[in-house]
Amino acid sequence: MSQSPDPHGTEAGSGREGAPSPPFSFDAEILALLPQLRRYSRSLTRSDAESEDLLQDCVEKALSHRRQWRGANIRAWAYRIMTNLHLNARRAVARRPSVGIEEAENLVESAPPSDPLARNQLVQALNTLPKEARAVLMLVAVEGHTYQEVAEILDVPIGTVMSRLSRARQLLREKLAAENVIHLRSPR
Amino acid sequence: MSESRPVTETDLHAYADGFLDAAGRERVEAHLARHPDAARQVADWQAQNDGLRDAFAPYAAARPSDLQLVAGRRANGKPAMPRFAVAAAAALVFLLGGLAGHFGPMLFEKPPTVTAMDALPHEARNAYLIYASEVRHPVEVFADQEAHLARWLGKRLAIDDLKVPDLTTIGFKLVGGRLLPVTDRPGALFMYEDETGRRVTVLVARNEENRTTSFRFAAANGVETFYWIDGDLGYAVTGDISRERLQQIAEECYRQFPT
Repeated sequence: MSQSPDPHGTEAGSGREGAPSPPFSFDAEILALLPQLRRYSRSLTRSDAESEDLLQDCVEKALSHRRQWRGANIRAWAYRIMTNLHLNARRAVARRPSVGIEEAENLVESAPPSDPLARNQLVQALNTLPKEARAVLMLVAVEGHTYQEVAEILDVPIGTVMSRLSRARQLLREKLAAENVIHLRSPR
Repeated sequence: MSESRPVTETDLHAYADGFLDAAGRERVEAHLARHPDAARQVADWQAQNDGLRDAFAPYAAARPSDLQLVAGRRANGKPAMPRFAVAAAAALVFLLGGLAGHFGPMLFEKPPTVTAMDALPHEARNAYLIYASEVRHPVEVFADQEAHLARWLGKRLAIDDLKVPDLTTIGFKLVGGRLLPVTDRPGALFMYEDETGRRVTVLVARNEENRTTSFRFAAANGVETFYWIDGDLGYAVTGDISRERLQQIAEECYRQFPT
């Protein structure tokens, strides 16, 4: 999306001085992206709280770095910010407990009722994946990005995208095949 | 179909993710028919995809707090966007209402103070959607009575010497105009058409606040609106045409409307 035009220069008559007001459409674009960013955020993290933190950090960073946005694909840009924030927060998150028993129940209840047990199992299995591999799988499977787009978002070669995707899928498969019980608390 | 080149693992992923064209799908399906292990693997991947989409789909929803997240303050009281006033936030509500209609109700649960002018792009878009698609009765007064149209709408909006913008230099001919309510006050809608029959509308509405803004832009489902406020009047130019063209029209209108 291009920047909001401002043929009159700065806001005439509003008495605002200094830096020109930011492009109005930028905030609207971010606002419109929030639902899908919330989904992506939740798919990367282990709890609703962690997810909301990540979303807030992402929005804050996007808004404060708006000048770095070159008017290209704002959606890919926002995904990139969120992914980087998440991957860079490695140590902080590694210490956190995984889904607690109450949250796990909530997860099941808030999801559509097709097969809550299988879904819970899947989400638990997801929590065992390396973050990089998980991010690729979420970007492709949940967010619907092409492999090329994922490569751009993560700033890695497409071969890396494919190997991470392959790894994520293989690990999930093994995990799900091995599991016959639902862990409300994951083992680590 | 003969297998022109070997099916790679990337092909299998692309098949599971729906990224292949018909020929590619056929090639992979032929491969899967001969390799049951690969077929099971791909089926598992697809089931994973479905399961993951199901699991996280409920989170893709707007929340009333979204607006605050973008335009307001963080919970810790630190201003995230100090330069954004409540009015701008309110305008965003309307913008988003158009961008994501089904999320609208959630956002409107806790509306910030909304002024008549914040509703302008929203009203302009609605008017465009309703009237620009009318074939036989797009306007109340047609262009052949332009002088009457200007007098009549000028009187209803209490604008002395309301001029109907002339957009012929940029390829848009006046169709006519109509009176319509804009946030409970009389507003004027002018409609124009190019030689291919594409229409744009120009909305003029009363603004009670007497402030002035720069050009602003709102887009929803392919319908784009430029709007601005000039003293006690608000203007919005709406159309389903390129943004550059629409901006050109908006600038021309701005030039022609008395300030």
